Amino acid sequence: MNRNRSIIFKIIAYSAALLLLVPILIIIVWSFANNWPWPLVFPREFGIRGWEYFFSPTSNSISTLIYSILLSLTVTFITLLITIPASKALALYDFKGKKLVEILILAPLIVSPVAVAMGIHQLFIKLRLANTFLGVVLVHLIPCIPYSVRILKNVFETVGDKFQMQGKVLGANPLKNFIYVTLPIISPGIISAASLVFTVSFSQYFLTFLIGGGKIITYPMIMFPFVQSGDRMIASVYSIVFIAASLICLRSMDRLLRKYYKRGDYFYI
Amino acid sequence: MIMPVMVIIIGIFILGLIMGLLQSLGYFKAVGLTEITLNYYREVLRSKDFISSLGFSLYISIISSLIAVVLGVLLAYCIVESQGKGRLADIIFMIPISIPHVVAVIMVYNTLSQSGILPRLLYAVGFLEDPSYFPSLIYDRKGMGIIITYLWKEIPFVAMVVYTVLDNINERLTDVALNLGANRRQVFLHVILPLILPSIFSAFIIIFAFSFGAYEVPFLLGPTSPKTLPVKAYVEYINPDFKNRPYAMVINMIVTFISIILVWMYFKAFKWISKYTGDFNE
Repeated sequence: MNRNRSIIFKIIAYSAALLLLVPILIIIVWSFANNWPWPLVFPREFGIRGWEYFFSPTSNSISTLIYSILLSLTVTFITLLITIPASKALALYDFKGKKLVEILILAPLIVSPVAVAMGIHQLFIKLRLANTFLGVVLVHLIPCIPYSVRILKNVFETVGDKFQMQGKVLGANPLKNFIYVTLPIISPGIISAASLVFTVSFSQYFLTFLIGGGKIITYPMIMFPFVQSGDRMIASVYSIVFIAASLICLRSMDRLLRKYYKRGDYFYI
Repeated sequence: MIMPVMVIIIGIFILGLIMGLLQSLGYFKAVGLTEITLNYYREVLRSKDFISSLGFSLYISIISSLIAVVLGVLLAYCIVESQGKGRLADIIFMIPISIPHVVAVIMVYNTLSQSGILPRLLYAVGFLEDPSYFPSLIYDRKGMGIIITYLWKEIPFVAMVVYTVLDNINERLTDVALNLGANRRQVFLHVILPLILPSIFSAFIIIFAFSFGAYEVPFLLGPTSPKTLPVKAYVEYINPDFKNRPYAMVINMIVTFISIILVWMYFKAFKWISKYTGDFNE
């Protein structure tokens, strides 16, 4: 009886995974389909026209991809830089207006980014931040901050500050204490926060599009026209590259941070 | 320590909302509008076009979020029960989160449009005589394409949030209930559900607010009319006549207002629930 139940649940869970994976397979097939008329279930002719277009220098795809990755890495770095101390304060200390600060930090999860971007656009134009790399990075911070704080605050709540107290007692100055004690302890949290923030920034379309004003072109932006015009083959090629690029970036970020902090057991948890 | 984050949040997020609010009230100095008025709100709220957009937006967000929550909870339950942790859970949770909405749109388009894979398969096995017999799920007035795209992204998200809580529920609790004669359904409804309810609520709020305020998916897959509110706001925004800006901002403010009301209801509901079931949110 129990065995049967477990099998049914397994079947459901595996079909869910299949429903998520099959569309990816379909776009892989479609990216190689030179000719695939209705109602054929398999393409009539395979080819690499879409990939040729992607790699041709005229399409600017590679350079946009690299630019986009750099932009999102910048956003990730700044987000971590400003949210690590804030998360620590929210997790471990009591101060006046803490509740309000928390609500404000999490609010961008709820409030439409469209409303925020249109509201701030005029000011960004005045400050000459519109249509610049810096302006786009700044506006990307808004949707990224809440995710990072949610993760890091949790981590600080679990580890507490007893290890930093030890460091302090043993004579480390605040900077050393932060680099050699705090950072290694929270590194698992940093890895997950960095991955999520990178993904959020890398997938961003509307904020870049409005604040970048067509001068700052990121990868999702060069994809849009092909999706709109229904050019399935090219859109599929771009999608595959998007997925591959974000997987590679996440993997290498994970490796890099792990390697950097892998110096033994840090009593995490 | 919270200064840098607050500078960004207040300097961009809050200031952006305030400037939007001012412009929605007709205060837009750059083009010479300086009189505070509620006329723009009145005009927008009276327009038929706006009401149908509001209805369309609410309909898409409510339907997609409700279905996502129900199926997401069931999926999480199935994953926990099947003991298929590790890889399986990883695939189900990580894929949709790392795939952006633009790519999800292409997947839905390639699979479900009238020349997509599904109608082809149906035709091949003889279920379908012509592509036009397949319901048009893209650019349709029922927003099916939009809803399906959101579901594809959101069901695993809800499942992930609920899974973390489910996986941490002490097994003894369910064992005790089973021992006392409860059946599986009763255990789920009276033991497990109350424990995961807070995370279900917060997942619902997040996906509802996201889909309600998002631009990309309805822009790519939605019908020309009705448009969802964020798409409509952008159409008003890019009008070359700057005096049109307040209308865009009114729409934005209404979207923001509805999301805030929702969060407020969430906290109220929370209090109400804990009053009746004891404080389980430890």
